[in-house]
Amino acid sequence: MDKKTKAIVFDPLSDNNPITVQMLGICSALAVTAQLNTAFIMSIAVIVVLCASNTIISMMRHHIPPKIRMIVEMVVIASLVITVDQVLKAYAFEASKQLSVFVGLIITNCIVMGRAEAFAMQNPPRQAFMDGLGNGLGYSAILIIVGTFRELIGAGTLFGARVLPESYAGNGLMVIAPGAFIIIGLIIWLQRTLTGKYEEA
Amino acid sequence: MQKDELHTIKFAGIVCLVCSLSLAGVRQTLRPIQLENERMDQQVNVLKALFPDFDPDGNDLSEEDQIRLFTEGRILRSNRDWIQRYFEEHITEETVELPRGREGKLYRLSRDGETVSFAFPAEGKGLWSTVHSYVGLEPDLATIRGVTFFDHGETPGLGGEASKPWFQKNFKGKKLWADGEPVTLVVAKGSAPDDGSNQVDGMSGATITGNGIQRFVNTTFRQYNETVFSAMRDGETTQEGES
Repeated sequence: MDKKTKAIVFDPLSDNNPITVQMLGICSALAVTAQLNTAFIMSIAVIVVLCASNTIISMMRHHIPPKIRMIVEMVVIASLVITVDQVLKAYAFEASKQLSVFVGLIITNCIVMGRAEAFAMQNPPRQAFMDGLGNGLGYSAILIIVGTFRELIGAGTLFGARVLPESYAGNGLMVIAPGAFIIIGLIIWLQRTLTGKYEEA
Repeated sequence: MQKDELHTIKFAGIVCLVCSLSLAGVRQTLRPIQLENERMDQQVNVLKALFPDFDPDGNDLSEEDQIRLFTEGRILRSNRDWIQRYFEEHITEETVELPRGREGKLYRLSRDGETVSFAFPAEGKGLWSTVHSYVGLEPDLATIRGVTFFDHGETPGLGGEASKPWFQKNFKGKKLWADGEPVTLVVAKGSAPDDGSNQVDGMSGATITGNGIQRFVNTTFRQYNETVFSAMRDGETTQEGES
């Protein structure tokens, strides 16, 4: 892997993380992270959709008429998301029931549209695929971290298996959405302190 | 300019055609598997109500083990064919008449020609969503054998706990009918008092889900009771009188 590709894949993991730096896709990061299991499946779904949509849109980038550019992107993304949703309903039924509407809502996840607009429209398919992979992984990393804290503190379990002793009562705040906000906030704080990067207000 | 617009229309047409065709293809291919999942899910939920100790996560057991577990009152979902066959052989689904001309389902589990338990579907509003459930009754038509809550959109970890075994196990042995009249089953706030009263442990932080469950379990029982169960009780007494 040359240096440029490396940067495309690994930058979004921390320095240009879609959630903590680009501030995209926060809605779903709150909704599906109460349990690690759902966070994990959601991560895979988003990675698949991001890679595929970036690649397809990049392949079409010279042919898409500018006037209907965003609508075409939307149609491609929506088709991919529906496909993923249908596959989950067929092969991961329990998980798809838990995720319910949130798989469908990947369509409106700003990361997917954002990467299509910002990267796939200007770059060749291979790099676009790598960009999708990197951003998908960056999104997943945050989801898994938030999911780990929320499930552990909220219910004392990880992937549904009990970790903390039975007597641990569980912190209700972590189970509801504000718990995720607090954890994401702490992650952003930690990350900015470590990297020394701040956004100019 | 004209050429541009023609290209735009052509492009849009092709994109729409390709996307809709591939989606139709995906749907057609996966539909049978999805329907199978849904049917399985429904059967598993009926079984959970009929067998309170049903363990849906048990895996990799031989058929012998499954039959042994079954005779001990537990049954596992690991073998889909086995469950389906079991369902066809031992469980009958009847359509029954409810008050005000409505129709309902009644599931009956029989072993050696004798009814072991009944289950009826019940559903109602929780906090965010409709909570679906099956309520299993002992043959006395009064004591709860098992319940299952599923297919809901309640908050995971709060109201969503309704689909967890710890909550559902509480219902076993509680009464919906005593001394010739319906009794109200209460979902307590916090832990249920240990004084033999007809209460089950509530879910902390999920009062409204608990209230909803309490409401629809009791009202649905009363509806079934008015037409179906009362007729069955009458039938039993006459039969005894004859013999």
